Amino acid sequence: MTERISIKGLGKRYGRQWVLRGVDCEFSPGEVVMLIGPNASGKTTLIKCLLGLVRPAEGSIASGGTTITSGAAPDPAYRVRIGYMPQISQFPGALTIRQLLEMMADIRGIAPGELDDELIEELGLRDQLDKRLGALSGGTRQKVSAILAFRSRPEVLVMDEPTAGLDPVTASRVLARAGRLRDAGGIVLITSHLMEEVESLADRVAYLQEGHLRFLMPVREMLEITGAQRLAVALPRLLSSNERTTVAQ
Amino acid sequence: MRLPALLASLITAAWCNHAAARTWRVAPGSGSLQQTIERAAERDTILIEGVIAEGTISIEKPLTLIGKPGAVIDGGEKGHVVLVKADDVTIRGLTVRGTLVSNLYDYAGIHVNEVHRPAIEGNTLDRCFFAIYLSGVQGARVIGNTVIGDDALEERMANGIHLWKCKDATIEGNRIEKHRDGIYFEFVTDSRIERNEARKCVRYGLHFMFSHRDAYTNNVFEENGAGVAVMFSHHITMTGNRFATNRGGSAYGLLLKEINDGEITRNEFTDNTTGIMVDGCNRIHVEHNLFRMNGWALRLYANATSCTFIGNTFSGNTFDMSTNGSLMLNRMEGNYWDRYTGYDLDRDGHGDVPHRPLGFFTMLVERMPHALVFSRSLFVSLLDRAEQVVPSLAPDALKDDRPLMRPPKPQA
Amino acid sequence: MLKVFKYTLIDLLRNRFVLSYAVLLLAIGQGLFLLEEDPMKAILSLVQVVMALVPLIALVFTVVYIYDTQEFTQLLAVQPMTRRSILLGQLLAMCVAMLVAQAFGLGLPLLVHAPGSASLLLSLSGSALSIIFVVLGALIATRLREKARGVGMALVVWLLFVLVHDALLLALLFTLSDYPIEPWIVPLAGLNPIDLARIIVMLEIDLAAMMGYSGAVYKNFFGSNMGMLVAALIMLLWALVPGWGAMRAFQRKDL
Repeated sequence: MTERISIKGLGKRYGRQWVLRGVDCEFSPGEVVMLIGPNASGKTTLIKCLLGLVRPAEGSIASGGTTITSGAAPDPAYRVRIGYMPQISQFPGALTIRQLLEMMADIRGIAPGELDDELIEELGLRDQLDKRLGALSGGTRQKVSAILAFRSRPEVLVMDEPTAGLDPVTASRVLARAGRLRDAGGIVLITSHLMEEVESLADRVAYLQEGHLRFLMPVREMLEITGAQRLAVALPRLLSSNERTTVAQ
Repeated sequence: MRLPALLASLITAAWCNHAAARTWRVAPGSGSLQQTIERAAERDTILIEGVIAEGTISIEKPLTLIGKPGAVIDGGEKGHVVLVKADDVTIRGLTVRGTLVSNLYDYAGIHVNEVHRPAIEGNTLDRCFFAIYLSGVQGARVIGNTVIGDDALEERMANGIHLWKCKDATIEGNRIEKHRDGIYFEFVTDSRIERNEARKCVRYGLHFMFSHRDAYTNNVFEENGAGVAVMFSHHITMTGNRFATNRGGSAYGLLLKEINDGEITRNEFTDNTTGIMVDGCNRIHVEHNLFRMNGWALRLYANATSCTFIGNTFSGNTFDMSTNGSLMLNRMEGNYWDRYTGYDLDRDGHGDVPHRPLGFFTMLVERMPHALVFSRSLFVSLLDRAEQVVPSLAPDALKDDRPLMRPPKPQA
Repeated sequence: MLKVFKYTLIDLLRNRFVLSYAVLLLAIGQGLFLLEEDPMKAILSLVQVVMALVPLIALVFTVVYIYDTQEFTQLLAVQPMTRRSILLGQLLAMCVAMLVAQAFGLGLPLLVHAPGSASLLLSLSGSALSIIFVVLGALIATRLREKARGVGMALVVWLLFVLVHDALLLALLFTLSDYPIEPWIVPLAGLNPIDLARIIVMLEIDLAAMMGYSGAVYKNFFGSNMGMLVAALIMLLWALVPGWGAMRAFQRKDL
């Protein structure tokens, strides 16, 4: 059973520079939330806080029995529930894809199962399993990254620009996979620049700017308020309406 | 020697050989050795078996004593074990033990006093105080003996083969261990020391005092307090010896003190704290020796003059040279120095720039011995390089103007 | 930890840098033995290589490797295991990789051409230096965020250990030569792992000199069981204290 994630007053600074401040929100089971915002808006920091890579300076993230604060890092039990699909530019170059999959299976204590085979097949990696990671193209690395994220059957999946570098077919397969995770009651958080690709998938959109959460509202509502047909049109309209809207659930 | 005496001895010898040079046998339970010696005629032979323990055995006529395997003469610590007081005595194949240790008298396993032509061959001298002691002897032959001392305190140790006021001696193929000096020469002239091995002697493997015109060749000196010490002597020839692993605070492969006109050629000095120490010597000629892995290959004191160093090989030593002053009246030429970093553009086999064997680090350690801890550190080797380019500390005259580019071929 | 160790090691043993390092060492080692007729002389030259090159490579390699695998380390840190086991596994793998390269490039020629106690001591102290400088590299890389700064710091640290420390001590010896400073030089030198390693090897190779009047002091010390124990302890501290620092930094670090 997936637990909701509640974020309260989350802030992070490097030196005197706050990169994230006063973020309050909740993510519920069975939804896909798309994180958007300009560069250096705090998306990555928010994700890293969620993943336990970065310690918040203030505030907390609570999920299930685990609370992440500046004092306490998440325990391994928390990480068991989380999957992460990073954009990775360098895997250990001399390992093969197969070895990397084995390593992660080893670490997670899962046997390579059907899911992998299916996904490997689906992403067309079957023939490349014995290639060295150092020799892979950006797109293939992204596929490997996706497989690693999905194979652990996470309750919470965090995807950082999942479609970057992927061909359209593979991209849609990866996103479809994320959709199925949501349908099974998981939480999916996606950062992306490409709204068209994810607007069909996203339930809500969180917009970050200069470290603050400008708004977090359902896609449907965004379209209704602005009277637009598509997110790409709705978003600028919303942002130009000067009021600062924060919708919390 | 007076003529009648010589004639008499020749005639006696001839008579004995022809007529009745008898062979006597002595074994425990069948007669005493001393009595047999007294009964025997000159030039007779006595064969010895088993362990003879009769106190000091005294030989006062020309005789040959031969030990069968396992034959032992045990002196029972009463003084000397065998005392030779006649010319032409031969002692062969015996094990000699049981000398008295004394602070007053030089008791020896085999003591030979004021005679001619003794031959001491193939004996084993087992934990004697002095082992073989020759005093005022001419034409001695000490060959193939095994002389092993005791692991005692140094005060209770004496010399292995000790010669005092002797002439024309031949010391050959002996093995000496654990004595004070392995071989000791005092006032010994015109003698040869060949193919001996001296090990683990607490003072010197071989020690010359006031001895002249002697030669030692192809010997091995290992793990002694110092390999060889030559002091107050002249015209000593030292050839083809091996000086190895003589290590310690004042240990040298070869210590030369106040000697003149020595020849040191084709020796090997390996792993000694100091290879050769030259103190107050004149006209020493050092050629074609190999110095490797010593602490200091050569310590050349400033009081040494007119010494020459030619065609030697210096390799892997912690320091190739050191000195204690700034004066240098000796000559160095055409040696091979593994530290030489120069070049040979005219391809004559000699480097075109001089080599200065006294590095910065050497001088530093002379002044501050504890700096030795930086030996072979990167910083120190950089400093040494700098010193070669811009000499600042070493005596300017101390250099090899024609250093060899390659080690010379070993000479036969 | 063992899983991270295992796969990191598999990766490292095929790493181009590690392979080149092993081959470079082998070329130097084998080359020296072929060039020098006297094996002891080759060992002497190898001492300089080990005391300078090995720490440098270990430092730079570790720093670069840690920066280059940063993203993957992030991915590992998201997996259900402690950061402690991640860093420990990586560190262990890097140490083993360096040691394997050294055993191949240095140990092999030493074993073939000059088996003996000098070679053994050289290999052992070289191994200790590899481990110590891998750990120091990890400390640098976990504490500094930027790769360029990390590599720069690695070079500075290397210079400190290999040159500056000795230079300062010699300067000290010179300027304070009127005072009884000499007995302090050996302990002060022994604080530097490179110096310590060099002294231990020198006690074997330059034994003849060390048995001389001043050397006998530390020959007596380092030659004794007590001295060897102290030396081993200092080496161990040089691995453990920076290792502890790196671990602390890594555990608190924002990846």
